[in-house]
Amino acid sequence: MNQRSLNKNLLDRLLSSDKAISISVVLLGFLCGTLLVVAVGRNPWGMYSAMLQTLTGLDLTRGTWNVRYVGEWLNASLPLILCGLSMAFAARTGLFNIGAEGQYIVGLTAAQFVALFGPQISVLHWLLALLAAAIAGGFWGGVVGWLKAKFSVSEVVATIMLNYVAFFASRWLTMLIPGTNTYRTPSFPATARLSDPLINQLTNGSRLNLGLFVVIISCLVFWFIIEKTKLGFELRATGLNKDAARYAGINITKGITSSMIIAGAFAGLAGAVVALGSFSYGRVLGGNDNYGFNGIAVALVGNSTAGGTMIAGLLFGMLASAQPLMQSRQIPKEVTWIISGLVVIFISLRAAFRIVLDKRAKKRAAELKERSDE
Amino acid sequence: MKRFFRLMILTGLVLATVAGVSAQPSSRLLTDATGIDDRSFNQAAWKGILDFYGDSWTKMSKRGKFYDVLTAQTQDMYIPNLMQASDEQYDLVIVTGFTWSDALIEVAPKYPKQKYLIVDVDWVGQPNVMEAVYAEHEGSYLVGVAAALKAVEDKVANPKFGFIGGIPSPTITKFEVGFIQGVRSILPKAEFVDYYANDWGKPELAKAQAKNWYDSGVYAIFSAAGGTGNGTIAQAKEYRVQGKNVWAIGVDSDQYQDGIYSGTKSAVLTSMLKRVETSTLVALKAVQAGSFSGGVVTFDTKNEGVGFSTTNPELSKAIVNKVEAVKKDIIAGKVTIAPTYAEAKAKGLVPSNLQASDN
Repeated sequence: MNQRSLNKNLLDRLLSSDKAISISVVLLGFLCGTLLVVAVGRNPWGMYSAMLQTLTGLDLTRGTWNVRYVGEWLNASLPLILCGLSMAFAARTGLFNIGAEGQYIVGLTAAQFVALFGPQISVLHWLLALLAAAIAGGFWGGVVGWLKAKFSVSEVVATIMLNYVAFFASRWLTMLIPGTNTYRTPSFPATARLSDPLINQLTNGSRLNLGLFVVIISCLVFWFIIEKTKLGFELRATGLNKDAARYAGINITKGITSSMIIAGAFAGLAGAVVALGSFSYGRVLGGNDNYGFNGIAVALVGNSTAGGTMIAGLLFGMLASAQPLMQSRQIPKEVTWIISGLVVIFISLRAAFRIVLDKRAKKRAAELKERSDE
Repeated sequence: MKRFFRLMILTGLVLATVAGVSAQPSSRLLTDATGIDDRSFNQAAWKGILDFYGDSWTKMSKRGKFYDVLTAQTQDMYIPNLMQASDEQYDLVIVTGFTWSDALIEVAPKYPKQKYLIVDVDWVGQPNVMEAVYAEHEGSYLVGVAAALKAVEDKVANPKFGFIGGIPSPTITKFEVGFIQGVRSILPKAEFVDYYANDWGKPELAKAQAKNWYDSGVYAIFSAAGGTGNGTIAQAKEYRVQGKNVWAIGVDSDQYQDGIYSGTKSAVLTSMLKRVETSTLVALKAVQAGSFSGGVVTFDTKNEGVGFSTTNPELSKAIVNKVEAVKKDIIAGKVTIAPTYAEAKAKGLVPSNLQASDN
């Protein structure tokens, strides 16, 4: 085989692998970000040293090391991964769950209520709060799934609408709590908080918390349901081809509803992890936290798999927590959004890569045919 | 290379401080997601910083060397951003608004040597935190007096007055009750209407409400609602162009420019000035002089922290003189103004059907 056809094969293999495409679009995003920083006359090294500090805690500018920055990075990634799982789970069933933000908000609100009014017994208290958040998020997503399955209501429209309902309902309900002003509720009792003295000590006082294990378990549950259960198989079949699945005797109505319930539960958990992990009091939301929306990008980059979503969540979490460090190095904060925005755009170009791939395959088939004709 | 210079400067700073030479301190402003161009709080704090270093909006030559700004995208970034700024050892870390108070209460004790300034909060109670609060009720009283005097001068029969607030809070209540007491000191029987938009960024709500009120005979509306208040000014402009005698009253900074509809004619009669830039300037000067100390510092009419603007030529000299006299009375303690709704209501100074909140 000559060199040229070897190159061809390598390129083909790259283009046909979802993982390789994900990695290359991320690199492409960073490249564009770097060029942009140069274009506005700043030193791109600042951007990379900020990212290095996020990933390792090592501050090369000042020659100091503080592991807290690593803890904060992981903490910032937790809700992104969970919301990514939410989007990914629905996507595997052929649904576009744009409502993770709303499911996140109802989860957060439910967790705040249990934190303030639940039994103050250690471990049980936050477990109940997490459970309430998962149920609330699952309900919020399940309603959409049921509407979709029963009445063919577009899940995109329904979830967007419910995002607003969730936001304003959360504000209204939270402000009913005695002692709440327009901004915050009274403080949570210590038993409701996810913070853990050992993790806190290991990460030099970062806010990383037991939510870490919630995320790891969630990833495993995601993988197990999708890959190892009958339900997961049915859901995947529905996602690949709804009609074929129906003919194969799969109950699509049930499938779509349960898919949205599970997706909603992941987003609801994200709300609880932020509420009980990063705050010591309940919030009257003044604006969206946007974790639900960012989860869409996380799932896209992660190819809607458990492992991929986790890695993509860590990447987006890194960008989010590197942002203040970049600002400190006089790199415009907008750069991180541009990078993540570009990554999403490039990922959406996956379809275009497919076209290129098809054309190349056809061309090669023609070449082979010519050669065999000779 | 740039970093090398920066290091040199920082080293120089440290040495200078050690040697007792007064050098310029370094400072960082932390903001919420709206950033420094919010035309409000953050912008004013930033202006104070620029003034201190001799820079301006168009020329920020010392930015990145002596001072900079860090914007938090979500509320859960407040604590990490505060800790980061403290790790990076700025001489002064500045935050504005009560939304930062919980984060600062948690972080300040962990960095006892770090100096902080928080604006509009007086309950942090840490030895390394300077807390700047404003006597908004005094400035609002002055614009209330000005609006009432203008109504008298224009011989308006039974003038009514309106107040539009953002999200109810004790701070916004100070604006409202101060304004009403000011108006009532001239027109004891004046009627009032009030409305809270529950949002700082929805001018359309204020505009609709203002139209409604102006149509029903309201003479002047005072808005303390951030960006929402621009709706009041827009409506007042529309009506003044049509020849109706109605006014909007600006807040925080002099909003005369925002109300101009032809030549020097502006729909903003006067503005209640709350000079947030004064607090950053004062704190930075204290750090430089080595006299910085924690605790509550009040900015009122006496130290020019609050006041009223006189830019609009239609605010006659006679009125300005009378308001200035009232201002002197406030400074002298001859006029006292109730800062809370409960107190004002108990003294019978304000109507009892307001939507103001004391908590």
